[in-house]
Amino acid sequence: MMLEASPDEIYDIELEHSLLEANAKLAVENRALLDKHGITAIDFMGAIGSGKTTLITKMVERLKNRLGVAVFNGDATTSSDADAISAQNVPVVQIATINGCHLDANLVGKGLKKIELADLKLIFIENIGNLICPAEFPLGSKARVVVVSVTEGPWMVRKHPHMFLGAEIVVINKIDLAQAMEVSVEELVNDVHKLKPDIKVIPTSTKTGAGLDEFEKALLAV
Amino acid sequence: MHELSIASGLVEKLLDFAEKNPEKKIVEVLLAVGELSHIEHEQLRFCYEAITAETPLEGSRLEVEKIDAMVKCPHCSYRGRPKYWDGALSGIPVPTLECPACGKTTEATDGQECAIKSLRFTENSALAS
Repeated sequence: MMLEASPDEIYDIELEHSLLEANAKLAVENRALLDKHGITAIDFMGAIGSGKTTLITKMVERLKNRLGVAVFNGDATTSSDADAISAQNVPVVQIATINGCHLDANLVGKGLKKIELADLKLIFIENIGNLICPAEFPLGSKARVVVVSVTEGPWMVRKHPHMFLGAEIVVINKIDLAQAMEVSVEELVNDVHKLKPDIKVIPTSTKTGAGLDEFEKALLAV
Repeated sequence: MHELSIASGLVEKLLDFAEKNPEKKIVEVLLAVGELSHIEHEQLRFCYEAITAETPLEGSRLEVEKIDAMVKCPHCSYRGRPKYWDGALSGIPVPTLECPACGKTTEATDGQECAIKSLRFTENSALAS
């Protein structure tokens, strides 16, 4: 059914109602709760297969004996990432979005109620593997990390520019495969800097360990 | 597809409005969507039509107004439109945070929003005649 009213029957009202505000407000609440407990949350975004889980696991391995670390794993349906990180014996919260394409502040807020915050200093939040949707939904984290890998080809940054504008750290992962993939790490780094000149870009390989010291340092400096 | 969650939030608000104002029939919704937001207008419209089917909003139009990006530079005094990356890929210039004046990183001041700007409605009594 299509309704057509004549112009004299039409009324307008002005509204200024933000559709992103509900999430943004919850993100601020999450942040306040985290700040109260002296916890820094860091949100990891990146495509499926970019290496988010492995990078987080490597960082947890390095940090867990020095400070309290927990991991939130967003996944549309499976718990495979949460299972992998659970082997590290740190608190892991699996957040199933049931096919939703991004985590939101509400889900993260619920997750924060599920764990003991008292002993924590750092929470890594692994977002859904997706380079578009999570950008619009802040979670309350203090910094956002975008992970791209050379196996995704040479155009990942150009194809998803918006994702990088809101990030504080960018990881170019799997650099041990750069030559085989015929992808220039330097050009990917340059692409990121074209979008955001001062952003920290760290080339890494979880296989060789390249860049992991620098990445750890960058996470601790957030 | 996050357009679906945004459209759902929008429709929830509108149905709330419709319930509180049963004499008003919404015919058009105007959204303001920022250039820096990651929201695809056509997908948003598609989702809107799909969710409003068989609701009091069925048949209403969703119009989207693009809000230009604006940036300010904390390093120099620049304020204005962002620098665009022309040769990126698509032929569509990509807005960046590089300061057009000093080349450092700017902060976005406008162009990230997604908001309901106005509603257009008719009074149901007028339609009944």
